[in-house]
Amino acid sequence: MGRISGERIIFWTLPAVAIIWILAFCLFPGFLPPMSPTSSAGDVARFYQEHTARVRYSMIVLNWFCVALIPILMLIVERMRRMAHRTPIMRYCMIGVAGAAPIVFLTSSVFWLLAAFRPDRAPDLTQMYNDLAWITFTCGVPFLVGQCVFLAISIGLDEQPQPVFPRWVASFNIVIALALIPAAFAGLAHTGALAWNGFLSFWVKNVAIALWIIVMSVVLAKALQRDVAVAGAAA
Amino acid sequence: MSLPLRDDPKRELWYAWYAAVFFYTLYSVIFFLVTHVQPPGQPWYTPTQVTHWFAHYHNGLLIGFALIFALGGLSATSIALITYSIRRMSVSRAFAYSYLILYAVSAVPGFLFICVAMTAGTFRPDRDPQLQQWLYDFGFLSFSGTMGVFLIGSLIWMTAILLDKNRVFPKWFGYLNLCNALTEVVVAPSWIFYRGVFAWNGLIAWWIDVFVFGIYTGVFLMLLRNMILREDFGSGPLPELPLLARQAPATLELAS
Repeated sequence: MGRISGERIIFWTLPAVAIIWILAFCLFPGFLPPMSPTSSAGDVARFYQEHTARVRYSMIVLNWFCVALIPILMLIVERMRRMAHRTPIMRYCMIGVAGAAPIVFLTSSVFWLLAAFRPDRAPDLTQMYNDLAWITFTCGVPFLVGQCVFLAISIGLDEQPQPVFPRWVASFNIVIALALIPAAFAGLAHTGALAWNGFLSFWVKNVAIALWIIVMSVVLAKALQRDVAVAGAAA
Repeated sequence: MSLPLRDDPKRELWYAWYAAVFFYTLYSVIFFLVTHVQPPGQPWYTPTQVTHWFAHYHNGLLIGFALIFALGGLSATSIALITYSIRRMSVSRAFAYSYLILYAVSAVPGFLFICVAMTAGTFRPDRDPQLQQWLYDFGFLSFSGTMGVFLIGSLIWMTAILLDKNRVFPKWFGYLNLCNALTEVVVAPSWIFYRGVFAWNGLIAWWIDVFVFGIYTGVFLMLLRNMILREDFGSGPLPELPLLARQAPATLELAS
């Protein structure tokens, strides 16, 4: 039972992490509404001068907690052991991307914090850090897309009477992967749906991430419960 | 391979292998033909020349790196296959897990930083040329000059192959790993030189490196293919799942 209670502890960190993420997201003054890529260097510099404290505090929090989802992802990887696979290859794929994905958020938070560190810096420099932060944050979806695709294939291959995750979770992950992909193209547009503040690159992408966390935590909770029941029956 | 892929007991290995081949093909086409960051730009360009460089390859840089941003996660498939190959060897799991972590981290200098830096440079062509040059340097130096993950990763794989008694990989490939590791040593001067064989576009730091890396990658993809062909899962039932295996620990090896 030791292992299962440990997994429960990890699982129940999720609501706390979610609340912290939402608070940090709302605290950052550049998300609601998202900053525009068409702003001049002067406007960007003024933004950091006026909102220095909120940028710093929100990004310090995000820097702490952007990696906090890794233990939850490892709970998913552990569930994958029970899948009807012949090799651990899909788990290795998941572990490979699970480490890289938060580094993207970590890097963008560093750029944002750099921009806010000396708000009276030359406006062109502040704008460059701001560009680097937004491009990293918005376009940096490769590992999230990979995660969804690997999970979808893993669930597809899990052909047993009672699969670890229901079949529809595979389709759901494909839909999320497709919703994340347009954000990769944010560099191509300064305005419109693809721009980093646009409908596809900001709203669809971030809502997709939030939805993925919610849905996966529900199916993960069910899979965990079943493991507890099976272990209880075996004991 | 006479079975259709969806019924093949090795299908998960084949999916990963085809994805790995697709990723390396995409990566080569984008870096050489679409974005033209390979062969790399000149390290001695003045800020104004850098601004022209960004303007010249504008569309290629943005579209090419967007495709890498979208599909770069597939790089995990070759890492997973190699990790699996090490697990098949008669060596400690520490080798496999080290390789997995080292190469998972390598995605950041391997493509993420250059994608971000070059996209930012292309995104605002009218930015101060001095800053454009900083982005240009960041892109090329983070890409060419980040060596440790590949150096240690190759040495880990090499050591595992040379120690292995199961002959998962031929010994000569162990030594080819050493060649790849050595290329990571000789790129170090690219942080110091603007011109000549050691500069980031030079004969040693680029041409020889890319030649060795190209052969190395082609060879390991073929050897991974051979490894999958040799695997014999038969068409029998799946290995015991861990819940049962906990009662009979001896069967755990196959499943995990």
